[in-house]
Amino acid sequence: MSLGTHHGGRGGGVQADVGEVVAVADRIRGAIETVIEGKPEVLRVALTVLLSEGHLLIEDVPGVGKTMLAKALGRAVDCSVRRVQFTPDLLPGDITGVSVYHQERREFEFDPGPIFANIVLGDEINRASPKTQAALLECMEERQVSVDGRTRPLERPFMVVATQNPADMEGTYALPEAQRDRFMARVSVGYPSPQAELDMIDSHGSHSPLEGLAPVTDAGTVRHLADLVRGVHVAPGMRRYIVDLVNSTRTSPELDLGASPRATLHLVRASRAHAALEGRHYVVPDDVQNLAVPVLAHRLLPGPQAQMERMTAEQIVAKLVARLPVPAPR
Amino acid sequence: MPLATLVCLLCALPLLSPLVRGEDWWLPAVLMMGAATAVSVLYRTLAGWAGPVVPVLQLAVVALLVVPLFAGHLAPLGVVPTGAAVEQVATVFSQGLGTIDTNTPPVTATAGVMLIIAVAFAVFLVAADFLAVTARCPGMVGGLLLALAVVPLVVEESGIGAGALVACVFGFLQLLAVDMWVRGREWGVAVPTPPLGALQHGFTAALAAAAAVALALALPAAVPGLRTDAFHALAEGTYVGRGNDIITTTHPLVSMRRDLLSDSDRTVLTYRTDAEEPGYLRRYVLDEFDGVNWTMSPVDASGDTRIQSELPLPTGWPSTAPPQDTVTTRVSLDSDVAGMDFLPLPYWARSVDVSGDWYVHPDSLMVFTTEGPPTGLSFTVETAEREVTARELAAAPRAPRSLPGDFRTVPAELGGEVRELTEELTGHIDAPYLRAVALQEFFTSGDFSYSLRPPEVPAGADPLVHFLTVDRTGYCQQFAGAMAVMARQAGIPARVAVGYTAGERVGDGRWSVGTGDAHAWPELYFEGAGWVRFEPTPSGAGGQGSATEPEYTSGATAPEPAGPEPSPEDPDEEPSASPEPEESPSPSAPPAEEESPEEVGAAPAGGGRAPDLSWLPAAAAVAGALLVPFLPAGLRLAVRHSRLGRPGAAWRELRDTCVDLGLGWDLAESPRGTAARLAALRDAQRVPLPEQVRAALHRLALAEERDRYAPAASWGEEAGADLRTIVGGLPAVRPRGVRLRAVLLPRSLWDRPRRPVADPTPQSA
Repeated sequence: MSLGTHHGGRGGGVQADVGEVVAVADRIRGAIETVIEGKPEVLRVALTVLLSEGHLLIEDVPGVGKTMLAKALGRAVDCSVRRVQFTPDLLPGDITGVSVYHQERREFEFDPGPIFANIVLGDEINRASPKTQAALLECMEERQVSVDGRTRPLERPFMVVATQNPADMEGTYALPEAQRDRFMARVSVGYPSPQAELDMIDSHGSHSPLEGLAPVTDAGTVRHLADLVRGVHVAPGMRRYIVDLVNSTRTSPELDLGASPRATLHLVRASRAHAALEGRHYVVPDDVQNLAVPVLAHRLLPGPQAQMERMTAEQIVAKLVARLPVPAPR
Repeated sequence: MPLATLVCLLCALPLLSPLVRGEDWWLPAVLMMGAATAVSVLYRTLAGWAGPVVPVLQLAVVALLVVPLFAGHLAPLGVVPTGAAVEQVATVFSQGLGTIDTNTPPVTATAGVMLIIAVAFAVFLVAADFLAVTARCPGMVGGLLLALAVVPLVVEESGIGAGALVACVFGFLQLLAVDMWVRGREWGVAVPTPPLGALQHGFTAALAAAAAVALALALPAAVPGLRTDAFHALAEGTYVGRGNDIITTTHPLVSMRRDLLSDSDRTVLTYRTDAEEPGYLRRYVLDEFDGVNWTMSPVDASGDTRIQSELPLPTGWPSTAPPQDTVTTRVSLDSDVAGMDFLPLPYWARSVDVSGDWYVHPDSLMVFTTEGPPTGLSFTVETAEREVTARELAAAPRAPRSLPGDFRTVPAELGGEVRELTEELTGHIDAPYLRAVALQEFFTSGDFSYSLRPPEVPAGADPLVHFLTVDRTGYCQQFAGAMAVMARQAGIPARVAVGYTAGERVGDGRWSVGTGDAHAWPELYFEGAGWVRFEPTPSGAGGQGSATEPEYTSGATAPEPAGPEPSPEDPDEEPSASPEPEESPSPSAPPAEEESPEEVGAAPAGGGRAPDLSWLPAAAAVAGALLVPFLPAGLRLAVRHSRLGRPGAAWRELRDTCVDLGLGWDLAESPRGTAARLAALRDAQRVPLPEQVRAALHRLALAEERDRYAPAASWGEEAGADLRTIVGGLPAVRPRGVRLRAVLLPRSLWDRPRRPVADPTPQSA
């Protein structure tokens, strides 16, 4: 995706397309909300990542509905969904697929792994060995699988929704920073509100609500929408704003590791999707501000000072955002 | 910076130009300053930071330069400072001091004067260089410039010319500008400033200047101690000594002028008299004319002249027709006025009842004391009243015999123009009285105009000739002096009397005399009638307000006492038989009432009692000063008004409104974020903003957002209406005091949220 793409001339057409994005997104949102209630922020980030063709990392304690969210998202879109339960003994081949010898045809035949799907749920990704994690992450970045010398592209849309327990849980291998960087955004589901929890008892008591979830759109539509999102206008001042924001994470003394240039690209793409979801054909600072924490925080390493003060990366990003002047005409 | 300092002081040189006559007087000063600057530049360049060494070096170089410039012929090779050369410099210096001491400005630019100016400027430059370059306080150089500017202000009456002032101010400003530029460069701030920033700075500067001007105008009026007449009072009546009982006093004409020019018409004295039309009150009689000035011959305060029960009969006492009756006048000097060493007395005072040691000058009937003049004095004077008639005067012979001193001499060096003029006016008239009338008519016929600040007499011109033939503008001093001189030339003994007019009637038989009634008039001598007052000075509105032309001076053809009775409340209209009876202002508004002490203006009143429009500038200044507090509010309203018409400026207006109201403005906040924050505000009673205001906020934020970030956006018409709604509704959330301050002292005028200049990346704490 090029930062320099201008789509200013399309005017009303873009506005109409954006309306399409909003309509589809509302349907998906409505569908997922039948399963997970009271988490609009998480849902919005998830949709943003879907439309900007990124990958989502859901990080939280067990049992708050991480997997449920990922599954609901997969179901709401009528596309291929595969789920991988990461365990310490999972091998890379279990994800990418392996070539097996076909007795009858006397040749090796590729047996595609679960990665060949539109939406891949990587459950408890931090329970797998680093080697397996690396295999998944390579596919995520390159959107293709190379096995036995052959490169097989993955079908669009391709979105990995990985869930992860916090690193201090037992039996986990925390994702290295470089690999966390591949995820466009990280969200925490968080505990539901008491009312949502009450509703949950009702809905989950009789049957699994996932079963009643019918697809509201399909992979082709999502592809189309993702193309539309690329046309959302990012004003020069907004680009500068995003660069400044990412740059500020690199110069902040509270952070040992700042965000990468990939983070910049991710933030621009996510902002476009966010703007489209809001029904706008141009990005405003609020898009960036809303996304800064989910898009940037998981890539950062708080410095010793910040750790001593028990400041999380989220807090630091919020502080940086609150300090950076928004682009204004002068 | 050293060069800027040099330019600054070079620009200040013209300040002295009105004080020095001649060419090239500035050359040594420029040379010396240039040399000192060169030292500064060189040493600072070579030694890096030079600090306090530079002034020492500079002074040394200046001292070395003095010899070749001013005593080069005595020094070997023209530069070596031998003893003789240094002595010569010292001599030149003291000669210069002498020149300055003895001459009135402008002084001729002798070597001594040039040396003094050069050394003074060199020292100033060294000081300025130290302040501006070493100490980095170029603003302090302004103090030096002020000191320079005070010199012409104190010495020269006309003060500083506009050109010199502009040059000086320019020099100072360029010094400040260069300093700011250097500082900016050191700090890495973008230079030059963007035009908008410059505009803002200019605006701030204009505001500060307006406040300073307002203060300068308002403060002296408000603080009594700063009033100019207080300074005058300090300088009043210095007694130099009492050797041989000869007293010296301030020149009467000088103190009279000071009275006339004083800002306020203060009451000098009040008196109660039986006379229906009291005459003038004389204090001094100036009987000697030296070609330029009228002066008083020395008065003698010996035991013989101590006042007795009855004053001596003056020369010219009309033996043939002695005065009919006596009038008693009780005079009370105002206690706020500095004491008078010469008493103001009506003419032909016969006896004075006053406590203290007083003496009389028999010829002129001046009554004076050698002691420190008491303030708030009261005394009673009895005067002989006698009606002088035109007929009587007309009968006076040409050559009075009874006069002791010669009151007809005019210095030979007086220009021939005056004599020719006198001849032209009176040559064809025989009788002395008619000659005097002709002279008075010459002055009062309308060719002359009255002004307390007559135009300057060009250098070299005779002031008297200039007054009579060229500008014909002056006040009583010029009129009285000129008529007395011309009367003497016409063969009539004449002298100048200084004192006060009769003042204005304040009640039954009570009269009040103010500083504006100070006056000078000629007294002419006629055999048989004695000394008689004439009035060449224009009176009434365009002249000395309370002056009156005596009836007997209106010419032989004038009818004897005629015309309407003067109305009691308007004594100023009294000269009913004068040729210009309509001169007085409207009877219902006597001029003296217009200048009541409460109306002390900030600007100097034109002087006199004339009801001219001189109070207008003062009133305008007061009104201006009153308006100054509302200046910020007015500016803010103007800014808002201009923005209401431009939708693109709506967001800026919202920002300024928020700043005014103290609601804060966060540059990191997006438009919709700001709108949400403002829409959530509640007032003291927790009442939220009205719905339409919140909606307008939201709409405006979205419009601004579109304008900033959308590819092609245009403003709708509703932005102006939304802004109006917001600006009208938003203040409700703030307390009344804050709202008032937002109107009167809108912070947005000087306090605007700014982006960081150098590095847009915020550094965490």
